[in-house]
Amino acid sequence: MDFNQQQSADENYGNPTTCFFHVFFKGAALAFYILFSFFVGNFVVIFVVTAVLAALDFWVVKNVSGRILVGLRWWNEIDDQGESVWRFECLDQESMARLNKKDSWLFWWTLYLNAGAWLLLSIFSLIRFEADYILVCGVCLTLSIANIVGFTKCRKDAKNQVQQFAARTLASRVSSTFQSAFTIV
Amino acid sequence: TVLPARPPSPPRAQIPVSSSLPPPPPKPAPPKPQPHSFPPPLPPPSSSVPAPPPLPSSRPEIAASGFGPAPNTLTEPVWDTVKRDLSRIVSNLKLVVFPNPYREDPGKALRDWDLWGPFFFIVFLGLTLSWSASVKKSEVFAVAFGLLAAGAVILTLNVLLLGGHIIFFQSLSLLGYCLFPLDVGALICMLKDNVILKVVVVCVTLAWSSWAAYPFMSSAVNPRRKALALYPVFLMYVSVGFLIIAID
Repeated sequence: MDFNQQQSADENYGNPTTCFFHVFFKGAALAFYILFSFFVGNFVVIFVVTAVLAALDFWVVKNVSGRILVGLRWWNEIDDQGESVWRFECLDQESMARLNKKDSWLFWWTLYLNAGAWLLLSIFSLIRFEADYILVCGVCLTLSIANIVGFTKCRKDAKNQVQQFAARTLASRVSSTFQSAFTIV
Repeated sequence: TVLPARPPSPPRAQIPVSSSLPPPPPKPAPPKPQPHSFPPPLPPPSSSVPAPPPLPSSRPEIAASGFGPAPNTLTEPVWDTVKRDLSRIVSNLKLVVFPNPYREDPGKALRDWDLWGPFFFIVFLGLTLSWSASVKKSEVFAVAFGLLAAGAVILTLNVLLLGGHIIFFQSLSLLGYCLFPLDVGALICMLKDNVILKVVVVCVTLAWSSWAAYPFMSSAVNPRRKALALYPVFLMYVSVGFLIIAID
């Protein structure tokens, strides 16, 4: 009985710890911001704690949960000519197929929901003309959108790579079939 | 790992970000890229799935040749990522604020830009100023943070609009790291409330910050426009210095 429960829990989420942290920092930032701005008025504390939590969340998503839950990674580097280059990296086909569907569902939906929540909160603070709080919401919104854009580009890039690889494999297979056909003939 | 059996083997479906690139120049390059004779830091190109041993020491060499993290960073342990980022922050700080031979070449000096250091320094400066203020603490913090963040963005735009060559995030990162001396100055001023001491400390740290920012900014623009690029930077640091002195 226990073993079955354990197994079904494992089938649900491939990486429960990572999923937890992925959601934890986002939730903590939102919760802290909402609760403290309603009940406690100290802006400096709200700003610093929320900004630190949002920055930690950005780091966790970009470096840890992106890798582990969906097998994607993006970063920027400066090449030898001094130009900035955006790099995208993904796991190979077999590993991607083996990734847990629930994990990636959670990953993408929490990203979108988080950005949506911060957008709502920014609109609220805009309506109330509280410039200080607009600053906090702006910072958190920027970080969420940056992650969304980065991972979406990475996913598109990965799909392109897969298509190119499939095309190349097909072409090489066809050409080697031709070659072997001609040698036989 | 098993190599593919057919001779004209196409690469497996992975984005060979750095594995298909030739090995870094300093090492003696082998005639053909055999997996087993790659220089030790780079793993064989065909493996990305199993968890290979972590390679924390490979990062600086690969970064110096601009190829980015090794392919196996997708499967590296989390602690390695943390250590790598922390050491990058420290090395960036040393590169920017302390004398080193790469200062004249902005491309090389801050190649691995990151925004963690700047974020921490800006928040720290805001907090220190806010703590020193006896009234209107949250306004002080908001003003300091807004001034520094917006100032960094505007200074970068200034350089770009002057026709200079600088990368946006690299410049933000640089201007953020150059705040470190002012952070130190603000901390000292918070601890000791003597006006003369404050003026002296602020002048020293201001000079240090400007010295740190000078080579990057000046080499990014046309020599005839150096002053146009440098003066706003100096102005921003002077205004931060005034904030530090004036807070009581």
